[in-house]
Amino acid sequence: MSIENKLEKLAFEWLTASPEKTQMENEYYCQTRDIFQARLDRMLHELLREKSISEEDIYIVSAMTGEIGNNSFDHNLGKWPDVPGIFFGYSVSEKLEIILADRGQGILATLQKVKPELQSDSVALETAFLERISGRAPERRGNGLKFVKENIKSQKMHLTFVSGNAQARLNDGMEIIEIENKTSGCLAIITL
Amino acid sequence: MRIELKKFGEILVSRPSGREAYLAMSAYTTQDASENEPIEIDFSGIKVLTPSWADEVIIPLTKKFKNITLLNTENSSVKATLKTLREYSDLKI
Repeated sequence: MSIENKLEKLAFEWLTASPEKTQMENEYYCQTRDIFQARLDRMLHELLREKSISEEDIYIVSAMTGEIGNNSFDHNLGKWPDVPGIFFGYSVSEKLEIILADRGQGILATLQKVKPELQSDSVALETAFLERISGRAPERRGNGLKFVKENIKSQKMHLTFVSGNAQARLNDGMEIIEIENKTSGCLAIITL
Repeated sequence: MRIELKKFGEILVSRPSGREAYLAMSAYTTQDASENEPIEIDFSGIKVLTPSWADEVIIPLTKKFKNITLLNTENSSVKATLKTLREYSDLKI
């Protein structure tokens, strides 16, 4: 995928940096869920104050951001390959762009625990968005990405979601392609 | 009995905080209620709700009590979350 601005560049750098360079004091790095929650609260109140997008969209996009960010913690708790936590950044200029990234196990490894027949990142990504399935069975979970997909469509937003060598692009529909550069963990970019 | 969700915060997003909220309301709010007691879940004052949080609170409440009413569900994330729960988590109300 192409890198289009400074925030995306920072997220890619965080995803691909050596572990010791990711944990620096950084306004985008949320090592724990509490830090993420506090920054999500701040984003919500900034967006409500600026009034550049509708209140309805602000509440929905905050909920989607909460789902994606908390998914990273839910599915990697105690199993982070190197760096715990997530990258979370947003910018508001002509449009709102929100980026979330983690250096976790990725969608394929997570879902293979309950569906070992999954063999590729692209099929795993499709499964995550379309089936009610959770890598934390027997807990009944797995509705978060379906919620995200449906609201991207209904609110006319855009989502790019990358895991492994698969990239999903969602708006009115969903298209999944294979990309050259493999991403460990997950990367999500929401725009509206 | 009315359960005011805003008493747990106005941004309700993660499963751990949902689980904690359910345990707290089970200990301090609904502990003496019978399964047939009318329960009103009031969403007024909620700005952001996700299916993850609601899955840990609303679904267990609907399993424990038979007479539940949802109030003040106008917020867009509340409406979208309830739609997802009806579709994927067997929420029947």
